[in-house]
Amino acid sequence: MTREIRIALTGNPNVGKTTLFNALTGSRQHVGNWPGVTVEKKTGRVRRNSYEIEVVDLPGTYSLTAYSADEIIARDFLLDEKPDVVVQVVDATNLERNLYLTTQLSELQVPVVIALNMADMAEAQGDAIDLARLSAFLEIPIVRTVGTRGDGIGDLLDAAIREVKTSPHHEHTIGYGDDVEATIAMLADALSADTDLTGRYPLRWLAVKLLEGDESVLDKVRGGPALARVERILSSIDSDEYEAMMADKRYEAISAILPQVRKANVRSMSPSDMVDRVVTDRYLGIPIFLALMWGTFQLTFTAAAPFMTMIEAAVGWLVEFVAGSIEPAWLASFLGDGIIGGVGAVIVFLPNIFILFLILAFLEGSGYLARAAFIMDRPLYALGLPGKAFIPMLVGFGCNVPAIMATRSIEGEKDRLLTILVNPFMSCSARLPVYILLAGTFFPEQAGSVVFFLYVLGIAVAIASAKLFRSTILPGEVSPFVMEMPPYRIPTAITSPRHMWSRGSMYIRKAGSIILIGVLAVWALASFPLGVDYGSAGSFAGMIGHLLEPLVAPLGFDWKVAVALIFGFIAKEIVVGSLGVLYGTGEETLSSALLADPGLSAAAALALMVFVLLYTPCVAAIGVIRQETGSWKWAGFSVAYGLVVAWILAFVVGHLAGFFIGGA
Amino acid sequence: MNETKMLVFGAVLGALYIVTGLLQVLGPVIGPVPGTDLLYLTGDLFVGFVLLVIGAVFAVGARNLSRDVGEGAIFISVGILLSVLFGLVSLLALCATGLDVFLLGEGAEWSVADSIDPLLYLAVIGAVGFLAWGRETLRGLTSS
Repeated sequence: MTREIRIALTGNPNVGKTTLFNALTGSRQHVGNWPGVTVEKKTGRVRRNSYEIEVVDLPGTYSLTAYSADEIIARDFLLDEKPDVVVQVVDATNLERNLYLTTQLSELQVPVVIALNMADMAEAQGDAIDLARLSAFLEIPIVRTVGTRGDGIGDLLDAAIREVKTSPHHEHTIGYGDDVEATIAMLADALSADTDLTGRYPLRWLAVKLLEGDESVLDKVRGGPALARVERILSSIDSDEYEAMMADKRYEAISAILPQVRKANVRSMSPSDMVDRVVTDRYLGIPIFLALMWGTFQLTFTAAAPFMTMIEAAVGWLVEFVAGSIEPAWLASFLGDGIIGGVGAVIVFLPNIFILFLILAFLEGSGYLARAAFIMDRPLYALGLPGKAFIPMLVGFGCNVPAIMATRSIEGEKDRLLTILVNPFMSCSARLPVYILLAGTFFPEQAGSVVFFLYVLGIAVAIASAKLFRSTILPGEVSPFVMEMPPYRIPTAITSPRHMWSRGSMYIRKAGSIILIGVLAVWALASFPLGVDYGSAGSFAGMIGHLLEPLVAPLGFDWKVAVALIFGFIAKEIVVGSLGVLYGTGEETLSSALLADPGLSAAAALALMVFVLLYTPCVAAIGVIRQETGSWKWAGFSVAYGLVVAWILAFVVGHLAGFFIGGA
Repeated sequence: MNETKMLVFGAVLGALYIVTGLLQVLGPVIGPVPGTDLLYLTGDLFVGFVLLVIGAVFAVGARNLSRDVGEGAIFISVGILLSVLFGLVSLLALCATGLDVFLLGEGAEWSVADSIDPLLYLAVIGAVGFLAWGRETLRGLTSS
């Protein structure tokens, strides 16, 4: 007779869990989503002797604390679905970290079997692990596996089946010391009054989680008869302190076991470890990161110059050719001033965009960006942002749309919402053309440093906003940050250019679509009603600009800038294209036209760069904020907050610059 | 013996970076310092900042080596890599400006000296250190 059993496969990320799952189930797999979330759920089936076994692959997790969606899914499945046996995949090369999860599984009182995976790698490193002794200490069956070769799969299934048949199951708990144990006992006693809970969860586990300040467990207690007493006990302790003490005890237990079961080959520090000592140094790490960022923008500005000059020359020649050879005049204006002048003003910055993306791809591929995220964790945490926010913020230097989507990796809804709201202040590549045009025109000697200043200002505003939001509209604790450092490597000659192309080509597609439409709209507004001078105050563009001028006049901007900013709402690059159209020039002479405009001083140009940096996200970014927050309210808030901050800071910077360099 | 050479190299190059960085940062504040014409100081604060950072990495390395604490040698090796890296950034910027000027006929007044900054010539000394110690670090790093 066939008997059905269900195995839950759990473990830390990157321990070979998926490889082992594939080796266990072969092609008998089903992929779906966990209910209510966009986390992938994989199940598979395997037959062993008279058992039909369902294997459920749980999300990779470092602990069973309810910090992230992955941890909650794994924990709820173990508690609520009650699989017959849990197989924890353990990386044999990193026992300390992996056994931490084992201690938590033991507390859940679920039947566990350990698959000691990557055992071949541990042996190759010279580590010798006494499986029988480790198994005796943990009171958990352990099977040596090498998922990539399928070694130990049969033994693992047999061990799981034996564990299902074993009754009663082994119980092994960590002793947390007299004081903590006394509090655990008090809480367990209080919880025993809630019969609904006692039937579903181990009381000791519930008590431990409550002491750790687990909100998800507290929610389970709410509404029950035990709540009042539980809250009284919890109000008398510091849960942060208890959480740290209990984590220490778990690691103490692991540290006590490991020397007795493992002969580790003592290795000297690898070159990667040694370099990390410097680039993640407490004092030097952030200055080194800032220096590398300065180098990135310096190269973005200077190395692109000859290519920009070539494109400028080609666009200028084309505009002249069209103006001189096409009749009637309106068609020449449409093609020259509208299409070539507008789009040309934008594509001239392609070299800068490609160089920026190439350098970022190189830094990412080399493994340095993971280190940058690590060193930025401490200051970000202090300012109310999770360390994981750094990667989406850095992606924001390219484009805010994928950056906002990348916040999905952040645990905690408030942390994620906070990161989404501050992300538009990270200066995306669409804003770079505006800086390069204005900095190159008004500050030619310090253009690279002006651009770097704007990027730093964007980061500073993002961080200050995070601090403000955290203390007002989004209060709460920041989730801790755990990440693994990939090894350093030299990016290949294919991968970095491929990354550069895939991101940079988006800019070309935008130039041929949304930017083209935008500049044509500006051209139409500047040309109509019929009979008015092109781009004059009597044109529709002039009327709109003059209507809005009072709002931007205190910042030193005239009506042309007001119109360009309105169209920048569609895509930031259109600011430059619109200025090109409204000044009736291609990019070649736009710099000269801006310099010759008495209404636009150097101070006002600096204020304009600050305004473009900070004002409302583009349409695509607003759409994705709506999608990721599920609310128009937050999308609207992002627009309104950005406009207010941009206006205030542009006013301050413009007037300060006017005071120091004149021409406010 | 090798460590002694490395210590002297790190201390000397660290001092050069720090002094040049300070002159670069303070130049716009205290005015030109006599006798510094040949240092090609640009007055750019951020270049000064980068010089000070590289100098600090060398200085920490030399200090740790002299006291036999921490990983002094690796700080100096990473300092060498940073020195060469920023030298390359400076060289690329110079070449790009040169290309802009000579191939496209812009800025006839420009000369190579206009684009030289301390990051460029100090990297020449860094490159000597790279040949002696940096290659090993880079090779180990990329094969680990």
